Amino acid sequence: MDLSIDAKATALRAEIREFFARNLPADFARKTLAGDKLTKEEHNYWHSLLSPKGWNVPLWPKEHGGPGWGPMERFIWEEESGLVGAPRLNHVSQDLLGPVLIEFGTPEQKAELLPRILSSEDWWCQGFSEPQAGSDLANLQMRAVRDGDHYVVTGTKLWTSYAHLCNKIFCLVRTSVDGPKQAGISFLLVDMEQPGVKVSPIYTLGGMLTVNEVQVDEVRVPVTNLVGSEGGAWDITRFLLANERLMGAWIGVNMAFARQVRERLEQVGPDGRRRSEDQVLAQRVAEAESDLLALRYTTYRVLADELSGKAPGPEVSVIKVRGGEIMQALTELLMELAGAEGMVHPLSLPHGGPPVVPFELEHMAQQFFDRRKLTIYGGSSEIQRNIIARRLLNV
Amino acid sequence: MDFNLDDNQRMLHEMVDRYLTNTHDLAMRRKLHADPVAEAAHWREMADLGLIGAAFPEERGGFAASSAEAMVVMERFGRHLVTQPYLYTAIICGRLLIDGLSGSLRDETIAAVIAGERQMALAAGSTHLLRSPEDTCFTARRDGAGWTLSGRMPVVMNGDRADQFIVAARTAGSSGERAGVTLFLVDAAACGLSRRGFRTIDAFGAGELVLDEVTVGAERLVGPEDGGVALVDVALDHGVVAICNEAVGAMDYLIPASAEYTRTRVQYSAPLAKFQVLQHRMADMYIKNEMAKSMALVAAMSLDGDGVERQRMASAAKAQVAAAGKFVGYQAVQLHGGMGVSEELDIGHHYIRLNIIAHLFGDASFHLRRFGALAQTARAAA
Repeated sequence: MDLSIDAKATALRAEIREFFARNLPADFARKTLAGDKLTKEEHNYWHSLLSPKGWNVPLWPKEHGGPGWGPMERFIWEEESGLVGAPRLNHVSQDLLGPVLIEFGTPEQKAELLPRILSSEDWWCQGFSEPQAGSDLANLQMRAVRDGDHYVVTGTKLWTSYAHLCNKIFCLVRTSVDGPKQAGISFLLVDMEQPGVKVSPIYTLGGMLTVNEVQVDEVRVPVTNLVGSEGGAWDITRFLLANERLMGAWIGVNMAFARQVRERLEQVGPDGRRRSEDQVLAQRVAEAESDLLALRYTTYRVLADELSGKAPGPEVSVIKVRGGEIMQALTELLMELAGAEGMVHPLSLPHGGPPVVPFELEHMAQQFFDRRKLTIYGGSSEIQRNIIARRLLNV
Repeated sequence: MDFNLDDNQRMLHEMVDRYLTNTHDLAMRRKLHADPVAEAAHWREMADLGLIGAAFPEERGGFAASSAEAMVVMERFGRHLVTQPYLYTAIICGRLLIDGLSGSLRDETIAAVIAGERQMALAAGSTHLLRSPEDTCFTARRDGAGWTLSGRMPVVMNGDRADQFIVAARTAGSSGERAGVTLFLVDAAACGLSRRGFRTIDAFGAGELVLDEVTVGAERLVGPEDGGVALVDVALDHGVVAICNEAVGAMDYLIPASAEYTRTRVQYSAPLAKFQVLQHRMADMYIKNEMAKSMALVAAMSLDGDGVERQRMASAAKAQVAAAGKFVGYQAVQLHGGMGVSEELDIGHHYIRLNIIAHLFGDASFHLRRFGALAQTARAAA
């Protein structure tokens, strides 16, 4: 047993911190940490600063323009960027589709598409969920019917994150209704900038626009846009989800929230007392902090297993459930600590003049209610518990 | 002992329910929030129906046999997600007008409120606590026969549209002391008053209130000089019990709505309602709501009696409701999956409101502390 991290990884952490200190625009970090959103252009600018080092695509090997990191280096990157408030929006292209193309794509697909992700020219969204396929993803109905050199694609994707900012979408589509449900699903790349593709926003709690409905109506997609083999999407999907399995811990982002909570707890309130003198509140904060510490080391345990070549087990589901719950607890504490000022609706605040409430508090309520989704999407907490229980009970 | 509504309360309940069912679904609420004129008209309609009068006793021009009538209204408001300032204008400020004013000023003000012609807001407490009136954002100093008020409060509920404010200002002593806070009735049109409106996350109107040397006559004091805190405490107890009943109305909607959704939503070739883990989840929602409902009713029936009982029951109810509301709201969203976090369903809006209610006018730990302290007081007195 040994808690120390090797010198190479420690040096990388220092290098990343120094890079952020020199290059991350202060207002980008301030906005991100305060729960505000950056524009697509601001994201692209940030990615352009990262791309010389390949840090905009932390999961990619060197030959394709990435840093060629192993699991530990990637995780340190994740922690440090969350902690400092580095913006992250095009992760679906960079961390999900990129590795899929590198692993399963044809030489032509790699040559054409990887550079466009590197340059932020393409923003991809992920077309998985559908109205009748939420937890039960294999129930998806979007169909792709072969017609010569094309598939004709029709169906509806739901809860598609950032589709309103994206020009391309990768979809799980049904190419066969025979045999097991999973075996009839294929992985198809679809250009969104064409007739027959319609994106409609879905506003979520607090007036947030992150998810959309994407309707695809009789759109002709070249068969060369198929990734892997026809009917082979299930393995690709498993590979893709494995790449984000430690992301559900949100360690860096959660650490940034915890730091804010602790700072506010130690502030002197209008009654002249520190909030930490409220013992119940102080205990709740300590509980959230210790939960986060336990989550962090659980994540490191999974990481250490991965480094030693051990296959990940249901600990990944532990991380997904607790990562979401801990972020919900931390963002709730932040809203509470801000009192009445933490309850304002940011979209309704007056423009111009001195701010009604400090900028750091404007998004506290919106941020908390937005995080409600964490234990629903990407495999709800119920699904994660099913996974754990199946393994435990061996059923 | 009888926990059923009496005939008048039942009529009130049914009337409110009928009216809101026809005028207050999600689409109509959205229109109201986008259109101040329509929102004001809706408020006057509710006044015409006599709803505001239900918060005032007969001897003050209303028709309430007890303070419980307004709680019946609030319960239905919770069901229908009403974001009109009934809580602030009729219940909290209404109580301050009843307890703190006298003579013709009282009668005229209350008459205008009941008629729907005047909305009120309470600017008391500090930004951080939403509860303790001994912390104030405003100061007042004597100025000839009257007073001059100054200060800034960033979030005053209903402060965006109130015609009059009841402002708690420090007139003696120092921050945190119960004595030395005085309440003033201030017209929104007063010289030196400025405000900027917005909404809180649960879609209620709110405003920043700035008083810059605002002159108020001595006859506009609400309650005794330096004695405002005790009045606000009583008014906030009414507010606490009101939001407890509002929360129960919301939970009484969310639980069957979640049950219905899980009966119809099919995943893995079965309705979600077939999964025992979700059945038990809904049973837990029911258990928590029933406990909260009992205390919300008891607290409503304790408002007009002994002061210590009123406080104990209000705090006990708030502790139950805060925990139940957070659980029921959270799980109702969970059971609805992605649909639960969409603004297109009522579910998520109820979830937000229940969370705000959990914190409003003191959270569970505040009220448990108060409940515990009152238990000690009662024991020492016995």
